Amino acid sequence: MIAAQNLSKRVETAAGPLDILTNIGLEIREREAVAIVGVSGSGKSTLLGLLAGLDLPSAGEVFLSRHRLNDLDEDGRARVRGELVGFVFQSFQLLPGLTALENVMLPLELKGARAPGDQATELLTQVGLQGRLQHYPKQLSGGEQQRVAIARAFATEPAILFADEPTGNLDNVTGERVIDLLFRLNQDKGTTLVLVTHDEHLAVRCDRLIRLEAGRVVADVEETRAS
Amino acid sequence: MIRWQLAMRLLVRNRRSGEQRILVAALVIAVAASTAIGFFTDRLGRGMANQSADFLGADLTLVSPRPVDAAWIREARAAGLQAIETLAFASVVVGGEELLLSGVKAVQDGFPLRGSMRTAPAPFAPGAETRELPRPGEAWVAQQLLTALDLQVGDPVEVGAHRLTITRVITFEPGRVGNPFGTAPRLLMRMADVPATGVVQPGSRLTYQYLFAGREGEVTKFRDWLEPRLGPSHELVGVKEGRRAVGSALERAERFLGLSVLAAIVLAGVAVAMAARRYSERHFDMSAMLRCMGASQQDLLGLYLPQLLVLGLAASAAGCLLGWVAQYGLLYLLADLLPATPSTPQAWPVLAGVATGLVTLAGFALPPVMRLKDVPPLRVLRRELLPLPSRAWLVYGAALSAIVAVMWTYTDSWPLTLSVLSGGILLVAVLSLVALLLLLLSQRLNTRVGVAWRFGLNNLWRRRRGSVNQILAFGLTLMAMAVVALVRTDLLTTWQRQLPADVPNHFAINILPDQVESFQAFMENAGVATAQLYPMVRGRLVEINGIAVRKAVTKEARSDNSLNRELNLTWTTELQEDNRILEGRWWQPDDTGKPWVSVESRLAGRMGIGMGDELRFAIGEQRFTAEVASIRNVKWDSFRPNFYMVFPPQVIERFPATYITSFYLQKAEKPLLRELVARYPAVTVLEMDRVIEQVGRIFRQVTLAVEYVLVFTLLAGFAVLFAALQASQDDRLYEGALVRALGGSRRQLRAGHLAEFTALGGLAGLLSAMGAECLVWVLYSEVLHLDHRFQWPLWIIAPVAGALLIGAAGYWGTRAVVERSPMLLLRNQ
Repeated sequence: MIAAQNLSKRVETAAGPLDILTNIGLEIREREAVAIVGVSGSGKSTLLGLLAGLDLPSAGEVFLSRHRLNDLDEDGRARVRGELVGFVFQSFQLLPGLTALENVMLPLELKGARAPGDQATELLTQVGLQGRLQHYPKQLSGGEQQRVAIARAFATEPAILFADEPTGNLDNVTGERVIDLLFRLNQDKGTTLVLVTHDEHLAVRCDRLIRLEAGRVVADVEETRAS
Repeated sequence: MIRWQLAMRLLVRNRRSGEQRILVAALVIAVAASTAIGFFTDRLGRGMANQSADFLGADLTLVSPRPVDAAWIREARAAGLQAIETLAFASVVVGGEELLLSGVKAVQDGFPLRGSMRTAPAPFAPGAETRELPRPGEAWVAQQLLTALDLQVGDPVEVGAHRLTITRVITFEPGRVGNPFGTAPRLLMRMADVPATGVVQPGSRLTYQYLFAGREGEVTKFRDWLEPRLGPSHELVGVKEGRRAVGSALERAERFLGLSVLAAIVLAGVAVAMAARRYSERHFDMSAMLRCMGASQQDLLGLYLPQLLVLGLAASAAGCLLGWVAQYGLLYLLADLLPATPSTPQAWPVLAGVATGLVTLAGFALPPVMRLKDVPPLRVLRRELLPLPSRAWLVYGAALSAIVAVMWTYTDSWPLTLSVLSGGILLVAVLSLVALLLLLLSQRLNTRVGVAWRFGLNNLWRRRRGSVNQILAFGLTLMAMAVVALVRTDLLTTWQRQLPADVPNHFAINILPDQVESFQAFMENAGVATAQLYPMVRGRLVEINGIAVRKAVTKEARSDNSLNRELNLTWTTELQEDNRILEGRWWQPDDTGKPWVSVESRLAGRMGIGMGDELRFAIGEQRFTAEVASIRNVKWDSFRPNFYMVFPPQVIERFPATYITSFYLQKAEKPLLRELVARYPAVTVLEMDRVIEQVGRIFRQVTLAVEYVLVFTLLAGFAVLFAALQASQDDRLYEGALVRALGGSRRQLRAGHLAEFTALGGLAGLLSAMGAECLVWVLYSEVLHLDHRFQWPLWIIAPVAGALLIGAAGYWGTRAVVERSPMLLLRNQ
């Protein structure tokens, strides 16, 4: 589903070039749930950005489904993202001017889906927010906001879901509930999940764990799901 | 495909956001200002065009200083046209103890041939159309005449040696050709009463108007027949010419007001640009998120541009409405000066207003908003990522194009547009530098003031780019207002004050040659000193070096007044004491009878006349040529009789002449004028004090109208201030929260803000005082040649007014900073 070959990312800084990722090679199968772990600054988020086509590598290539991302311009990659990818972010990234319902409708409307309102309502019901449809992000708690973000991520039934520290801004109990929801939906919809986290406890719930250190893969292990 | 509804939903959701409101408000101001002027000039222009025939009182008017060949009138009647004669002259009218120079018009049955008069039975009563005319022995008069002479309907009034009874008040009269802003109030009487007045004597300044009306083809045929027969002193005014004469006066007024509007539009544009920039920055996250979801760059534009378009259209619509209301203010302020009843409003100023709104929006808002499509999607992971800044050439290029486009529609001339533009850029650059210096100086004071002032001044210095912009925006606006106000209140009084106490304040013209001696004796007996009596012959300049004058002069000079009317020609041996020879030499005794002429220097400059040129003049039907023997500088404001063309004796003495002189009368001596007019009915006395009063009134009205439009400019300045406040809002909120978290009180914060904006306003006021002082100095000393006085009240009023206005606005604009809980703010950061 996702493949990266000899992936490197180098940025220019005031102190000279800095290698954030070096020679990453990996392959993620359909419906697989993969955790990318590592300490802060190990390059996890950069890898996620490259795999999702948000950024281009300095060297190496990335394949999403059958698309070679290196061949595509920004609009081309956006098309691929719209077709295949969903996102969940640490900071939720809900649009403050739109209600919960409208936030979930947005990707559906972008795709030109029919009856986006109905689909969005159903998704918000699935994440337990049927009573909060007309609330604005500001009026929702952190956990609720992340649940809206999850509903939004699944709205277009993407083949791949990228989640960047989805519990980073939540307390333990809320984080746990959100993760349960994420995995349940992931299972139901048969989505490929790429989860970036520094939380080992969360990582072990995935099928596979890729550990990064200073921009290199130091471990890639299949795990038995803990839950 | 992004849906239109989504764009609209986002727009509605955003309606409470500050930047969107400011953007709309700024556009509303720009459109309102331009639409108000648009409506005003369009209604007036069309009013005059529609009424041209009615306005002229005829299809064709022949204007002549002398009666024309009776055969011409017979020819017109034979061609099936109606033809009547009217006679107009300036005459001092006596009512009770008062005198007034008025424009007398004597008419025959049938007047006017087109349109109709409107009269009222009493002063200030509503006027009604009438087909009647004053009966013999009656006079109809303009409102101003009644007011000035303190008369009522039914009172007697004397014109020359004849007494008439006022029976009606004129509210509209067709046929006031020529200067639409003419000042002498009208008195209408019967032609049959004219001989009894004794006003008409050989050489008197009279204007005969022959009105013709008929079917279009016949009028054209007659016109074609008449035109080759006309002499240089004849003027033919058709509907077309009448429109042009009035139109050009209006055009000048339009340009004058247009400049104020332009300033409002430019300032509004700056506010729009600032608001759009903030709008754009606040939508970076959303754009990045949408990119993540698969939206293309085009999708993003499809989302934002319709919002911008709808905002622009809505704001333009509101601006048009406001402009429509505001035009009534202009019509009210200029009511006395309007030459015609304004026609009903039409749609095109609305279109022009909407176009102004959209051009301003495109020029100032498009570049920042276009940046949204370039937001990198990776921003969702790394918030510090920003789209590349808009290229400077794009930002300034777009803004400049918008300004040039708007400016061009007002000036309708490329050289003028470019000179105003480059002058404006230079002015802004210089004043920016001064504003920065002022800011630097105030920063130096920083250590000597209290905490609140230090906080405020520090804020100004830290955001100095924005501060300079605001000081400039308000400084320029206040400067314009100050200059206009100073000119209105100070100019005329300064000028009058600087006239020597005994400067002549009356002119007597039309003194007949055989009355010269008795007139002088009369004045001597009364103890009034008169200036020398000069003979005056009316003639036209028709050729320069054998080339018809209209072809010989530059395009600009072609509309010069001195070409379009008869000049006063004179002869004398003595050079007037306030004249100075610049080139050539003054007449020697043996120059008598030589075909030479001395030309006034400014006229010579405008017409391109130089020493040795051959000038050909027409007096009545006769022509003669004279060579330019000297160029003279004339001090016109000496109020002594002065002339463009002076000949040596015995060159034009063969033509009929009347005499002119000037004298000084104190108010208490005015009754002498009654006696004078009674004794010499043909003499016209021009009371300069009255004329100055009248000119002063017009002047005050026009400057008031300009000031009225400048209010829009001031409002646009406030839009800039609020846009700047918006732009710094997040910083301010954060700082405020920090200050309060560290134990600062709301009062301290408030005092700091108050100090900041009071200082900003004070500095703007100071800048405006500096600018206004310089401008007025240039105007007084270089243009008007008046001694310039230091305008000290300006240096107090402008900074205080600026400090109060802007202090209050800024204080109000930053209230949220003080009101929000520090906890909430810090948590959100």
